[in-house]
Amino acid sequence: MTDLSQLIEYLPFLIPIFALELILAITALVHVLKHPTYKFGNKAFWVVIVLFIQIIGPVVYFIFGKGNE
Amino acid sequence: MKSYIAFTTKEFTEQLRTHKALIMFTVFLLFGIMNPVTAKLTPIILEMFMPEGVEITLGDPTALDSWAQFFKNIPQMGIFVLAIVFNGLMANEFTKGTLINILTKGLSRSTVILSKFSMAILLWTASYILCFAVSYGYTIYFWSNDIVYNLLFAVFVLWLFGVLIISLLLFGGVLFKNSYGSLLLTGTTVVIMFLINIVPILQKYNPVLLSSSNMDLLTGKMQPSDFTASIIVTTALTMTFIVVAIPIFNKKRI
Repeated sequence: MTDLSQLIEYLPFLIPIFALELILAITALVHVLKHPTYKFGNKAFWVVIVLFIQIIGPVVYFIFGKGNE
Repeated sequence: MKSYIAFTTKEFTEQLRTHKALIMFTVFLLFGIMNPVTAKLTPIILEMFMPEGVEITLGDPTALDSWAQFFKNIPQMGIFVLAIVFNGLMANEFTKGTLINILTKGLSRSTVILSKFSMAILLWTASYILCFAVSYGYTIYFWSNDIVYNLLFAVFVLWLFGVLIISLLLFGGVLFKNSYGSLLLTGTTVVIMFLINIVPILQKYNPVLLSSSNMDLLTGKMQPSDFTASIIVTTALTMTFIVVAIPIFNKKRI
C-alpha cells in the first residue's frame, strides 16, 4: 500500500481532528490579540503557546492565562 | 423557581463567555475521535517502527479495543479536564466577590449551589454524550459492535462517576473558598477511594468501580447487578456532598 492511499484512508479521522484543533487555536488567538491582559506572560508568549502547542495550548490559555477584566 | 432558572441561565452564559463550554466540547469531541483512531492505528504504527526482522503477532483490532481506549481515556484525561474546567465553579465567586450583589438582592444561597450543580451536570452530560456518539459512530464504521455487552450501562456508570466528581468540586469550593482547595479535596478523595480499593470486600461498594471496571462489563465478565452497591453508594455520596454544601455555604462570609 502506498503512503498516499493510506493517507486517504485516514482522511475521515484527520479532517475533523485538524478542524477542531484549528477552531481552538483560532478562537484562542483572537482572544489573545483582543484582550492584552494576562495573569502571567505577555502577548508574544501566548501567541506562540496557542499556535504551536496543539489542543493543550489554547486550553491552558483559557483556564490559566486569560486575565480577569 | 424563577430565580433558579434565571441564575442557571446566567451560569450557562458565563460558561460560554469564558470559553469553558468550548473547551469541554472540543476536548471531548477530540477524545471521541481519538479513541477508535488509536485502536485502529496502534498495530500499523508498531509495524512501521519495528526494526527489520523482529516479528510480533498482534491480533486485528476489534470494537473492544476501541472501547478499551474510551474507558481508559475518559476516566483519566476526561475526568482531569472536567476537574480543571470546573474547579473555579464556587471559588471564583468568592475571590471576585461577584455573589455579594445578587445575594443581598434576595437570591437564596441554596439556589446558587443547585444552579451551579445542575449547570455543571448538563455541560458534562452534553460533552460526554457527544464524545460517546462520535466514538460509537467510528467504531461501528470500522468494526462490528456485536461482541460488546452492556455498552450503554458501562457508559452510564462512568457518567455517574463524573457527577460525583462535580459534586466534590462544588463541595470543596464551598469549604475552602478557593480553587486549589477544591482541586485538592477532589484529588485526595479520589486517592482515598483508590486506597480503599485495595481491600477486596469493600471493592464492590467503592465508587471507583464505576470508572475502572467498565471493560469487564463489556466483555461480559461482570454483570450490571455487580454494580448496584457501588451505584447506591455513589448516588448517596453525591447527594450528601450537595446537601451538606448548602448549610456550610449559608454560614460562610462572602
